[in-house]
Amino acid sequence: MKREYDLVIIGRGAAAFSAAIKASEITSGQASIAMVGFGHLGGTCVNVGCVPSKYLIEASKMLFDQRNPRYPGIAPVAAEPNLKDLMGSLRDAVEGEREAKYEDVIRQYDNIDIVEGKATFKDGNEISVSGNAHNIRGYNFIIATGSSTTVPDIEGLGEAAYLTSDNIWDLDDVPGRLAVVGGGAIGLELGQAFSRLGSEVHVVEALPSILPQAEPEISTRLMESLAKEGIEFIMKARVLRVSTGKVIDIVTAEGRKELKVDAILMATGRAPNVSGLNLEAAGVKYSRKGIWVDSNMRTSNPRIYAAGDVVDQRLMLETLAAREGVIAATNIYEHANQSVNMMAVPWAVFTEPQLASVGFTEKEFTNANGGCSCRSLDLKSVPKARILREEDGLFKIVVDPRNDRIVGVHALSPYAAELIMEGVCAIQHGLTINDVLMSSHVFPTVSEGIKLTAQSFIRDISKMSCCME
Amino acid sequence: MTEKTVKMKVFGMTCDDCALTVTRGLKGKDGVLDAKVSLADKSAVVRIDEGKVKPFELEALPVFSGKSQYRAQVRE
Ligand SMILES: Cc1cc2nc3c(=O)[nH]c(=O)nc-3n(C[C@H](O)[C@H](O)[C@H](O)COP(=O)(O)OP(=O)(O)OC[C@H]3O[C@@H](n4cnc5c(N)ncnc54)[C@H](O)[C@@H]3O)c2cc1C
Repeated sequence: MKREYDLVIIGRGAAAFSAAIKASEITSGQASIAMVGFGHLGGTCVNVGCVPSKYLIEASKMLFDQRNPRYPGIAPVAAEPNLKDLMGSLRDAVEGEREAKYEDVIRQYDNIDIVEGKATFKDGNEISVSGNAHNIRGYNFIIATGSSTTVPDIEGLGEAAYLTSDNIWDLDDVPGRLAVVGGGAIGLELGQAFSRLGSEVHVVEALPSILPQAEPEISTRLMESLAKEGIEFIMKARVLRVSTGKVIDIVTAEGRKELKVDAILMATGRAPNVSGLNLEAAGVKYSRKGIWVDSNMRTSNPRIYAAGDVVDQRLMLETLAAREGVIAATNIYEHANQSVNMMAVPWAVFTEPQLASVGFTEKEFTNANGGCSCRSLDLKSVPKARILREEDGLFKIVVDPRNDRIVGVHALSPYAAELIMEGVCAIQHGLTINDVLMSSHVFPTVSEGIKLTAQSFIRDISKMSCCME
Repeated sequence: MTEKTVKMKVFGMTCDDCALTVTRGLKGKDGVLDAKVSLADKSAVVRIDEGKVKPFELEALPVFSGKSQYRAQVRE
């Protein structure tokens, strides 16, 4: 470890890795880089986020499909999960991904030093690192410290040994009754996965709807769909206290309710990791919502940038973190003034059906521009959905009426997280409804839902033959 | 004339020829009075007439941007 680097990156997750690799590429591997952090390499996504959650979701889907075949003539299989084996394989998968995509990758960069410890700014040029005798100086810094789970202060919760997305991967048995506190993406994904693995799941949400950032028509449909599968939703509800034996005392609009469960998953959100960094000493402005950056990912100290979940922004996503890391490095060495087009960043909830979204909701666009043009299409209208016998869903497209440009695409359907990319391209490149209509889609695919929704702007689709262009 | 000496970090140089290309790229700019490029230190010491060229403009010279493999930062 050196005492002075061209670039010091604080954090070792998606944003940090992308920044380090991009900075190495731009400088032909000649920028000396320190990546400072603690815990497993790769940060949240690979270790306790995207990778294990999607693994568990896919495994639970397989079990669900065996028990609930969609086609007559295919008999259900009475399969019971062995969670110990499943979680063992999940942990192996996480380890494999971490090794292949982080540990083995970083070893190939001679200019990058991995430094173990927690960083604290001494001033705008120097950090101390816990457990290290020497401070590290840097010419530029990128703060990529991510976010952590937040758990509200609830009486008795601490003694109840609750679960979070940090430790749920260590479970060996499926909880009989599981309370999921929080109806955001993480709560819904893990809630459905455990419901499918055999838990009786109760989602407790403080707001009147799940996923408040989503298009309301779509989040309502998702909630109905999950409820049909057997998940109970307790809305506009607050957990007052947890008593011995995991009895949860809940206040709702209808009064008090008691829930006796075997496990509690706290999925009450994530907060940017800003504390302990001594950002004041470096002249970096922040709030509890994260670090302030300009559109070029530069903080209030011009030599310090920030990227990923630690930034004050509305989305916390792996791909966004990675993009911002690349942008920060590019702007440092290329003076490129690159920025992220937030309106073209897609996000998804990997429930079944999947929910995926990009751009403005109807309300957001109307509030900002005084009006919009929108069409919704029921998934039942898509031939492939009928073939799949999965007709629970909806598509919605939001258009700027002044120029017919697509400004929002929202989907609740099988493969929504894959097919949302058509919406991303449309928004990123300023495409109109007509541009989508002029592009052929494969028949039969769920992505035809986007084409059909686009067609519904120009004609009554109930008067169209199959596959009409 | 306001003369100033600027120290730059230069990334991407791998041989003497690279150092020469960077030197030429710097000296070609109006207002650059002299440039000493060190391959070993990956740096350049540039004398400029600040009335004609500002230090930060050096970082954006063609030799340090676009398809060129060299990048530079003004350090002092
Ligand atoms: C259960 C779950 C499921 C998810 N699923 C998805 C998904 O499907 N798709 C998706 O796009 N996103 C998903 N996410 C979000 C995604 O994981 C995050 O947005 C992403 O990992 C953020 O990356 P990051 O680099 O900003 O931070 P992180 O990956 O959290 O990395 C931060 C790093 O900083 C280090 N650090 C913190 N403080 C300090 C300090 N003071 N000094 C030094 N180092 C420090 C940490 O140790 C860590 O290495 C999910 C998240 C969770 C929790």
